[in-house]
Amino acid sequence: MMYKKKKVTLFIQCLVDTLYPEVAEAMVSVLEDLGLELDCPTEQTCCGQPAFNAGHQREARAAAVKFIELFEDAQVIVSPSGSCVNMVRHHYPDLFMADPSMLERARAVAAKTFEFTEFLVDVLKIENFDARFPAKVTYHDSCHLNRYLGIHHQPRKLLANIRELEFIEMKDPDKCCGFGGTFAVKYADISSAILEEKVQNIIDSGATVVTGCDMSCLMNIQGMLSRKKAQIKVMHIAQLLSAK
Amino acid sequence: MEKESGRKILMDPEKQFINTIRTALGRPGNQPPATLFTTSPSQEEKILLEKINTRTHQERDALIEQLRQTVPSLHMDLHLEASIEETARAIGRLIIEKEPEWGTSKSVVCWDHPLINQLKLSEIAELRQIPIHNTKFDGKDPQRKKEIRSQVEASFIGITSADYCIAATATLAMKTRPGHARSVSLVPSIHVAVVREKQLLADLRELYTLLKWDEAEQKEGLTCNLTLISGPSKTGDIELVMVHGAHGPRELHLFIITEAELSD
Amino acid sequence: MYKKTAKKAIADPILQSALSGLQGRLGPATASLYKNQPEGPDLRAKAHAYRRKAVDNLDIMLVTLAEKIRQNGGEVHFAATASDAVAICLDIAEKNNVKHVVKGKSMVTEEIGLNRALMDKGIEVNETDLGEYIIQLAGEKPSHIVAPAIHKTRKEVGQLFTEKLGTPYTDDPPTLTWDARQALRKKFMAADMGVSGCNLACAETGHITTVSNEGNIRMATTLPRVHVAFMGMERIAANLEEHQAILRLMSMGAAAQQIGGYVSYIGGPAAPDHADGPASFHLVILDNGRSRILADEEFREMLCCIRCGACLNVCPVYGKIGGHAYGSAYTGPVGAVVTPLLGGINEASNLCQGETLCGACRVACPLELNLPRMLLALRAKLSEGDSRWDVKPKSRPEKMLFQIWSRVNCNRKFYDILLKLGRLIQKTMPSSNKMIRRLPWPFSGWTRSRDMKPLAEKTFMELWKKNQGGKF
Repeated sequence: MMYKKKKVTLFIQCLVDTLYPEVAEAMVSVLEDLGLELDCPTEQTCCGQPAFNAGHQREARAAAVKFIELFEDAQVIVSPSGSCVNMVRHHYPDLFMADPSMLERARAVAAKTFEFTEFLVDVLKIENFDARFPAKVTYHDSCHLNRYLGIHHQPRKLLANIRELEFIEMKDPDKCCGFGGTFAVKYADISSAILEEKVQNIIDSGATVVTGCDMSCLMNIQGMLSRKKAQIKVMHIAQLLSAK
Repeated sequence: MEKESGRKILMDPEKQFINTIRTALGRPGNQPPATLFTTSPSQEEKILLEKINTRTHQERDALIEQLRQTVPSLHMDLHLEASIEETARAIGRLIIEKEPEWGTSKSVVCWDHPLINQLKLSEIAELRQIPIHNTKFDGKDPQRKKEIRSQVEASFIGITSADYCIAATATLAMKTRPGHARSVSLVPSIHVAVVREKQLLADLRELYTLLKWDEAEQKEGLTCNLTLISGPSKTGDIELVMVHGAHGPRELHLFIITEAELSD
Repeated sequence: MYKKTAKKAIADPILQSALSGLQGRLGPATASLYKNQPEGPDLRAKAHAYRRKAVDNLDIMLVTLAEKIRQNGGEVHFAATASDAVAICLDIAEKNNVKHVVKGKSMVTEEIGLNRALMDKGIEVNETDLGEYIIQLAGEKPSHIVAPAIHKTRKEVGQLFTEKLGTPYTDDPPTLTWDARQALRKKFMAADMGVSGCNLACAETGHITTVSNEGNIRMATTLPRVHVAFMGMERIAANLEEHQAILRLMSMGAAAQQIGGYVSYIGGPAAPDHADGPASFHLVILDNGRSRILADEEFREMLCCIRCGACLNVCPVYGKIGGHAYGSAYTGPVGAVVTPLLGGINEASNLCQGETLCGACRVACPLELNLPRMLLALRAKLSEGDSRWDVKPKSRPEKMLFQIWSRVNCNRKFYDILLKLGRLIQKTMPSSNKMIRRLPWPFSGWTRSRDMKPLAEKTFMELWKKNQGGKF
């Protein structure tokens, strides 16, 4: 439990910061209930992932430099976004291959950055938060979280321990939701077609709530559920874990 | 590049091609590893060769059982016969019972192969009316080659042996040798393959280990055509609906003679 | 073209159903096979290393292969470009008085436009793979590497056969298959030359291998008197043990099989004392831009690809848009990387940008090729331009937007000001039920089918500061 002695520095995804602050509030609530000391660099903005995925590495690098400067003194960094953690863990080192000193700094920051459910289950080794959320819930495996970070069973373990929560697997839970960053806007028709299938699978599951670990995907899913006027709520797993 | 009386002679295209590759690879800087080609079997492969060589009759029975499990999903027919004579009778029955795909006249073509020759199909009374051809060829007479071709095209059943039969995937491995025409297992609508039990191998890894490291196999090489057949011909190209009998044989009948040879 | 064709494909319920069926069946089946191999879970990583070794020593591979094939009476030709390859084939056809060609499915021959060139010389060309045969009759291009006619219904095939073959109309797949069997059997018997591709060559033994389930490649390479095989120069393994591992993985990736129904190792023409088989064998080895890929460390990995199509069977983008949108011989995730590299990164920019980077392709690949990494590398070149690959920067507006974004992103004060502005502007956007219904350009694509969550009244940072780290 040595992590209980460390201060947890919050890496709030730009989408959560600007669109879904309640998700961060929920995450903070869960971590505080564990007695952890928290810190949040309020100068943080975006990790640079949208630029990087679109090929604009120069612009992404600028964001990475800012991030590294802001976070490198942290003891441990936790984020409610799988794709952002992937950016830091796998792509920050890529961005500084030509700069040995920055590369070292990037690697150091990457080594102490964790996704929220990964932190709870793999690092703190806690799977039960005495949460209660009576509802039929289904879970979407975000691509970067699942395939790039290998985080798949951790969220499910956490959901299994929430009292009165009935967990239903949707069809193809790990199939892409069609977001893909700028892809969703640049190739909107293809993005929508992929999303239609995901949304249909969510509806067909019979769940009243869909959850996940990445607000990029959930924002995408929520957008279409809303347009279809489907009565299905979209919530980040932190919000379920903080529910009493 | 050389110039000769005003005309440019370019480097040989092959030399140029390989040179381009060498440049791309950064040669002569990057030397190839010593392990590019293997010259002796690994420990694992040695153990596998030993396993194959010391396989007992009982162990082979287990392989037959595995083959029995594999065969249905591939739409293959497996026949176990206790002796050559019984095999010959069973094949004879097949020839009588099966109808040609096109036309009404029946003829059969066989490999010129010791095991197939031992079947003595042309001596079976019921088959008297049916021409049983073979693909024996001495390499000299081009007319004979044409004759073989038309006999193969006209036959509704082709009978071959094989080098090995793999239990896990129901694969027949067949090299090409004089008298063992490739088209016999391909052109007729029905392919009949006859092997002895001792030719069974467990899986493809065993096959390849033998082909690579067995002395006799090494000496012969793969030949100009080694074919692996794992079932009759099939396709799913129309709406993914599986259909058997695309361009190769529609049916594959595998006969395994379970009796041990005198030399076993 | 990409977006238009994609849109059409998305709206085609028959195609959608076909793609969904294909992916639903093959994707999971392949994944299951990978897990159950005698070599254990690292078979794919090993096979990747074998392929990489062959590619890293491609000169020695090809020289060895050529030597052995020639020793066995075959001829080997090296074609630097597509037109060289075509010229070689036409020359062989002429020298051998070829009037009629039967073909096995070969992406390389699509890449070089072989059929057209042969037909222009008055040579009859028959595709013999059932799917290729169907689309040849229909005058279309393949939409999938392994199942080229997957976009056609049985009814469409029935009508096509009635029209082109004169067979009585039916929509029963077995009957249709046997109609094709009969029609093509005559072609196989009559053809002068058989053309095939090469799935994977084996350098040490001096063989190419061809794989099919239909038996058409065996027919095309056994009955005609001349066999010409086309091979992408990178399609080779060093030795037999490595070859078999890759071959089996290829069968798993392509059709969820332990091994293809018919695998042939061909090392040369038939020997003089063989009763059948082609009298002459020609192997045409093609570069056509592959050496350029080889020379670039960033992309050399792509030469390890064995064109099995496993990535197509899991790609969410391919699963919606089908093969025609890619406008090239190579479709799906493999096409998204290879087509720009072979045909021009600017020309094929939509292919490498129109993906979600979900990573399913990498997981499905029998060699675990890192396609997402290479897609990102291609996108980076489109952002900045690249002299080595002749890439001009694409989309200045987007680049400028990200440059502005980058400035703002590095300065929280500006960032917050922009957010305040955003909160004002979004009040003017049509919304309902607390969701924005229409976003302005350049984000309008989003709201065609989705609502958008509006900016929150306060950012989390503002809330945190107000709370000064106390309990939320």
